[in-house]
Amino acid sequence: MISGWLHNGNVIMVEQMPIFGGYIGGVEETAICDIATTLASFTLLNASYHLDGPIHIRWGITTSRETLQIAGHVAATLDSYTDLLLANQYYPIAGPCTEMCLLEIAAQAMLDTVSGRELVSGCASAKGVSEDYTTGMEARMLGEVAMASAGMDPEDVNDILNRLVKKYERQYLTAPQGRTFQECYNVRKIVPTKEYLKVYESSTEILTELGLDMSSISD
Amino acid sequence: MVAEKALTVYDAFLRSEKGPKITENVWDNNVIPVTAVELKEKYEIDFGNKFIPTDPDLKERLFRAGIEMLVTVGILNVDTGRAIMVTEEEIRAGIRAAPKRIQLGENKDAVILEPRRSASRKKPIIQGGPTGATVSEDIFVPMIQSYAQEPIVDTIVSGVMSTVDGIPAATNTPFEVKATLAEIRAVREACSRVGRPYLSI
Repeated sequence: MISGWLHNGNVIMVEQMPIFGGYIGGVEETAICDIATTLASFTLLNASYHLDGPIHIRWGITTSRETLQIAGHVAATLDSYTDLLLANQYYPIAGPCTEMCLLEIAAQAMLDTVSGRELVSGCASAKGVSEDYTTGMEARMLGEVAMASAGMDPEDVNDILNRLVKKYERQYLTAPQGRTFQECYNVRKIVPTKEYLKVYESSTEILTELGLDMSSISD
Repeated sequence: MVAEKALTVYDAFLRSEKGPKITENVWDNNVIPVTAVELKEKYEIDFGNKFIPTDPDLKERLFRAGIEMLVTVGILNVDTGRAIMVTEEEIRAGIRAAPKRIQLGENKDAVILEPRRSASRKKPIIQGGPTGATVSEDIFVPMIQSYAQEPIVDTIVSGVMSTVDGIPAATNTPFEVKATLAEIRAVREACSRVGRPYLSI
């Protein structure tokens, strides 16, 4: 496949999601392997860019404390020593129209932006395993938080992330499934419901209280 | 000194026919975990409670550990049962040869994917979409439209259409191909509906 794409001059994205908690072991070991496999994508598969996605073996999400640590260290390290084009993808545990889902997305968006990723791809809400449990509102949160956090000091982001992740990491067992696209939008006009807009607003208020300035975006 | 030439996928394939033999079981349960923990200890890598590293020395040690991991174990080709081995010079050649600027999309909807640093005030490219999650056939276009209409979204990542003409797109059936083509048409339709027909998908 790659051979054909190369000869056609196509952009080749190589995707690889290292699993935290499986064969590899802990966060540091997984990060070492993530760097090795990212480099292999360019060395052996002639990737144009690489799509990462460290994922938690127990919860099946990219937004856990451990998987965020892996993604952040890998991106910041490769950003320091290479010009490789790096992306990351989003699998929150909670579903659309919930604060938890939007806060999970916000955490990873801050991390990816400030650790130097070039592209962020999302979101597979409710772990991406339930039909119709994804909507454009989650991408809005992803984009607006990325914009708000671009240029922030990594130490400040570490501090905010520590408090932000604490707000949701004890709720994985009872994470809300949320609502389907059909319940979140007027499907004919493609407009989000008042309920979802209210959840979005309350989530941005939480982020503002934690120290993320989103005022310039919502104006 | 002549700079090492980057490997091609052809080089990689040929090496996967001649590299050291190893079973997937030994690879998963011994080679990878043992080597990873050895390198963690050798390079004294400890993230503590940080999400983003701020210690340049830690980043350098992690980078060296990642390169040594790849050079030491290679990559297993599960089809041939052999490891593809590479040298550090070949890895560095691969890094040098990788694209530094890619255009995604066309015309007014094009965006440029290029290196940005961690301190950059420029946001990353926002790729919006269901990211491989399953989407009902009857709402596929409206759902993708909900992403394409967001001004902050730069490119689209698709979902998986659960059925095509009401028939499940099962693996290894012709409906898999039919559904894939239907997905692409539906994503294009959604982008066109919001006046962004040339968005990268």
